[in-house]
Amino acid sequence: MEPPIYYLKAEFIETDTGNKVSRRATIAGPQNIILGGKTIISSGAIIRGDLRRTGPGHAVVISLGRYCLVGEGCVMRPPYKTYRGNFNYYPMKIGDHVHIGAGSIVEAAQIGNYVEIGKNCVIGKFTIIKDCAKIADNTIIPPNTVVPALSLFAGSPGRFVEDLPESTQDMVEAQTKQYYLRFQALER
Amino acid sequence: MGPTVLYHCSCLSSSPLPPPPHLPSSSYSFHPLHTLFFCEECDAVRCNRCVSIEVSSYYCPNCLFEVPSASVRAEKNRCARNCFMCPNCRNTLSVVPSDPPDNGGASSPIGSLNEPPFFLYCNHCRWDSAEVGITFEKPTGLAAQLQKFEDSAPDSLEFERLKEHSEPFLRASSLSSTIGGHAPAHPSSAAHSHHAHSNSITAAASAALARDIPGVSKYNPLARSTSGRGGSGKDRSKNKDEMPEYRSRVEISKPSATGGGGGEADVELMSHLEDIGYIATLEQRWVNSWVSPLQTHELKPLRIPLHSKRSKRCPACAHILIKPEQKAQSVKYKIKLVAATYLPAITVALPHSQRSSAEAAKRSLAKSTSAAIDDDKNSTSDMQAGKTYPFHLALSNPLYDPIQVRLSVQRMHVSTASSKDGTSSEKARRPPFAISLPTSTFSVAAFAEAWEYEDDEDMFGVDDEELGLKGSLATDGRGKLRTVGVLEKRANVTIIGGEVVIGKEARGNVKFNMLVSYTYRSDDPAPSESNDGDGSSISNLKATATKQPEVKTFAFYTVVDLGHIIPREESRTDLDL
Ligand SMILES: [Zn+2]
Ligand SMILES: [Zn+2]
Ligand SMILES: [Zn+2]
Ligand SMILES: [Zn+2]
Repeated sequence: MEPPIYYLKAEFIETDTGNKVSRRATIAGPQNIILGGKTIISSGAIIRGDLRRTGPGHAVVISLGRYCLVGEGCVMRPPYKTYRGNFNYYPMKIGDHVHIGAGSIVEAAQIGNYVEIGKNCVIGKFTIIKDCAKIADNTIIPPNTVVPALSLFAGSPGRFVEDLPESTQDMVEAQTKQYYLRFQALER
Repeated sequence: MGPTVLYHCSCLSSSPLPPPPHLPSSSYSFHPLHTLFFCEECDAVRCNRCVSIEVSSYYCPNCLFEVPSASVRAEKNRCARNCFMCPNCRNTLSVVPSDPPDNGGASSPIGSLNEPPFFLYCNHCRWDSAEVGITFEKPTGLAAQLQKFEDSAPDSLEFERLKEHSEPFLRASSLSSTIGGHAPAHPSSAAHSHHAHSNSITAAASAALARDIPGVSKYNPLARSTSGRGGSGKDRSKNKDEMPEYRSRVEISKPSATGGGGGEADVELMSHLEDIGYIATLEQRWVNSWVSPLQTHELKPLRIPLHSKRSKRCPACAHILIKPEQKAQSVKYKIKLVAATYLPAITVALPHSQRSSAEAAKRSLAKSTSAAIDDDKNSTSDMQAGKTYPFHLALSNPLYDPIQVRLSVQRMHVSTASSKDGTSSEKARRPPFAISLPTSTFSVAAFAEAWEYEDDEDMFGVDDEELGLKGSLATDGRGKLRTVGVLEKRANVTIIGGEVVIGKEARGNVKFNMLVSYTYRSDDPAPSESNDGDGSSISNLKATATKQPEVKTFAFYTVVDLGHIIPREESRTDLDL
């Protein structure tokens, strides 16, 4: 068993569904952000829920599933483009068991379940990452890239490296659950 | 990298013993548990190096379109839709209209004009296909629009001609091998394995070859060995004689005439070269199936190579171990026999490094939460020569029944006779460290679904009545506890303490082979020969008992790497500083 990862109890807000959000993270437009439960938003992360599609009413800008981790200093920003003369932001949808390493910038349109993104990556606009894929540390994924299921991408530009093992889903599920359990408050 | 445990696969070797840990071959024989498979029929571990592979479906990794295997060959194993790779950086290209992106800002928004001609644009390195004179009238069916260029390339024409030339010969030889009585070994196998393989190894080879070389007929070694009279060397020369002589379309001595470059033309170009960037790099050139231009400015967009989903079979009995679902982006499997559902998972930890990293983490809390931990791990996990360190092995049981485990360190094949007194002459050859592990059998509790319940608050505090001592991971203040033996049991995990005594002159890594044998209650009837269904017998181990339980034993080798030894001289200089 890996040792616990401690955090200061005062730094994190824990929601009813077990989400743990650092007070040192910048959550813009929280009404447009959905966290699935047991998801951790680390300190210094910036989540731009305020960059919403123009028009009236309520809109989900960024949704994260269960057991996700947004690492320290990550920037999550919805993708945008100008279509038929209109500039607009588009929603970013992230599945369950997705870990995003520290210092990464994500502008993806869609990230599936059981996805690992390393540290210091740039995930370009409208990228689609399918289930059980992995992005190695320091990878630059250019805009509009499709990362197929169960594949490892690395480099600049990020390119296919190899297929991941058949048990990736089980592994990532166990690791992300483990991580949540290890992430413990230190009262002081 | 912390300490690791890897699992052995003998890959059908005649000797079940793994190579000694210090040999380079060791790294080829040991694998992470999660990459291994398990054949119930053979009761054996299999790995990616020894399983036989069949392609079950093909898809484009960019548009995710599933390509029927019938058209894969005709399309030369690449996407025949709208997917192209940048010849410069291999990023995926986008189709853009003539009003280029990134030039006008608000005045000419992308997609608002959609004016032909269209071209391919790389949004990573900004290469565009107009540079090499490739534009399109409409933004769809690009591959078809480029087809004529591809087909008229000299190498492509040459290849077609060569293929045509050898076709009758290949047809004749594949026919003779079928007549030779090599019916497919497993008629019940996937309908999608379109090659009638005679044994799994050739099937793997043929799948691999068919995948790698566009348009090449599948490799079939049996065609050679069975069509003649046995002596394969003779056969080959005889078959060669049967082929009429092939005359190439183009005289190879003057390829420059056809615009293909090479020879004098290249020498001429190179001698006047002013910037190395004008020459395409090796990487840019050798991803191609065909000879590609030497000069950077002539590189053409590349159709994206297809990916495949693969089934895997046991190399010994040909039972299916892995069978993916048909849908390209599904991560589910119809059959998935992986070692992790049969063998206990073992992780290893060095308490001295864990303790220091945990403390470091607490200390650094003021700055940040978790970033510091990883960095600290490296610096503290090293061990110094001449010292003794405890280590922990955590075994977790994937079975629904408890298992009884026994661990033993495989003796090094060098003499251990003088280990007590340490005669100097033997020093160099003796393992530079000694490992102590509990010699008795211990139990690991059954896996229970309950432990999976996400809201189980008690996960970390299960009773350890058998032990009479509390978990050793946090025993700093409580005096010395025994280090070798069963330290802790919780849920389906048992933690075992071991100890390593490192010699004064030791160098390298503390790395040793460990035999793990465990007994489990089996509900298996005696293995029946008639069971021929592919994977119909999944998870016998987990089936509910209907008859008298039978106890079975399974043993496997692992290699444990505890990490690097800091030689004495080095550690001394460290202290001086
Ligand atoms: Zn193997
Ligand atoms: Zn495609
Ligand atoms: Zn490029
Ligand atoms: Zn088998």
